[in-house]
Amino acid sequence: MSEAALIADELLGLPEKLNTFSKAVTTKVPIAQTPKQLVWALNKAKLYRYIPVVPEEKRHPVPLLMVFALMNRPYILDLRPGHSFVEFMVKQGYDLYLLDWGSPGLEDKHLKFDDYTLDYMPRAIRKMKAVSGVEEFSMLGWCIGAILATTYSALRPDDGLRNLILLTAPLDFSDKQGITFARWVDERFFDVDKVLEATGNMPGEMIDYGARALKPVENYVLNYLKLWDNIDNPQVVQAWRAMNTWVTDNVPLAGGAFRQLVVDLYRHDRLMRGEWVIRGERVDLSRIRANLLTVIAETDHITPPCQSEAVMSKVSSEDKELFRVRGGHIGIMAGSGADKITWPHIERWLAPRSK
Amino acid sequence: MAGERVANGKDADPMAAFRELRDAYMDAWSKTMVDAVNTEAYAKATGTMLDAYLSASSPFRDALEKTMLQALQQLNMPSHADFVSLAERLTNVEMKLDDMDAKLDEVVSIPKKPTRPPGSPRGKRAARRRKEGK
Repeated sequence: MSEAALIADELLGLPEKLNTFSKAVTTKVPIAQTPKQLVWALNKAKLYRYIPVVPEEKRHPVPLLMVFALMNRPYILDLRPGHSFVEFMVKQGYDLYLLDWGSPGLEDKHLKFDDYTLDYMPRAIRKMKAVSGVEEFSMLGWCIGAILATTYSALRPDDGLRNLILLTAPLDFSDKQGITFARWVDERFFDVDKVLEATGNMPGEMIDYGARALKPVENYVLNYLKLWDNIDNPQVVQAWRAMNTWVTDNVPLAGGAFRQLVVDLYRHDRLMRGEWVIRGERVDLSRIRANLLTVIAETDHITPPCQSEAVMSKVSSEDKELFRVRGGHIGIMAGSGADKITWPHIERWLAPRSK
Repeated sequence: MAGERVANGKDADPMAAFRELRDAYMDAWSKTMVDAVNTEAYAKATGTMLDAYLSASSPFRDALEKTMLQALQQLNMPSHADFVSLAERLTNVEMKLDDMDAKLDEVVSIPKKPTRPPGSPRGKRAARRRKEGK
């Protein structure tokens, strides 16, 4: 075919491509389809149990609780059938639970890490134990969920936590030069109280802007170019739509928790310095004795690797591993290589420790 | 080269050269922007803009809030603050229910007392009652 004919062919296919592109960008796809049942709820928080698909005698007896970030929907863990961490773990025989924080309203603007770790989490964990009939459990925390999981593990080390998995955990805020967010929320430039006085909670749109602005060209331009370049590939389009559905579904962050995140953590690094006080109790990381797996995304721009490394030397766990994966903050768990690298590694680490 | 057949038999992409150029440009632009947002100047600029927006919108926000409150009071309708207060009370009730649920779970998990064997005194009495139809 001549060059002119190829270009003409390309132009003739343009309307259809534009139609597919427009549909992909403006519509949502069904996600989070792994069957689950609600076992507990409090305020906006919900605890789900995924319906086991493996016979009871072949299941791992120790249940696994997944705690996701406060300001994103947790269904990134169960994005779409065939590419879902949840589906993968259920098939591997785990009794799997998900703590979904929901979307806080203005009535929740005072909620702090204190409330999440000492009111919500203990109650959800108690219910999980009652449902599973097992006193010990494993916990997986991702991003802010990892702060919650770490804080809980340090405050309640005797609560039966056997295994702790931290994914891209922002725990160490000492390297101010290496953390872009730390620069943005510096007290010279960002008045957190003024923002919260106007908004109550930190709006999801502002958080989304912050996350996207870290890599503006990639998020605002290249992301769409990638879709356009692969518009003839239904699998790529489907995967893009699922991810876009998640990315554009923003949740506000409770004002109290956002203030703690900015002031106590980003500005004063209180957790790693052992100065963070949660409802009168100091969060002492050396009290963590559970087996620990920390997963770091090497090209993470939201939680740079420097934020997750120091915890390894602070905990008292004898069994601990730091696992580095090439990829970004979300990509290591939801990207195309997640099912080949990150998920199997987590499963292989957890399986012998869940007997 | 565009217009030629490539080794695998597919037609060559006439836009390939354009894409290569575009990707190289995007790559450079992306790196520049990442460096730019990672500066103190950017943090200061966004902070100033946000501050200016909040300061400018504050009087309007307050006025709107007061007007809405008065209008709702006139109409005998609950205000946003009323809903917030109600939601907080509901959460408290939920917590109490959760405490009760925890206690119920505890009760259910207590092993039941073993039934008395038929030969024991109370067991004999119960068997006699059953026989007499009482």
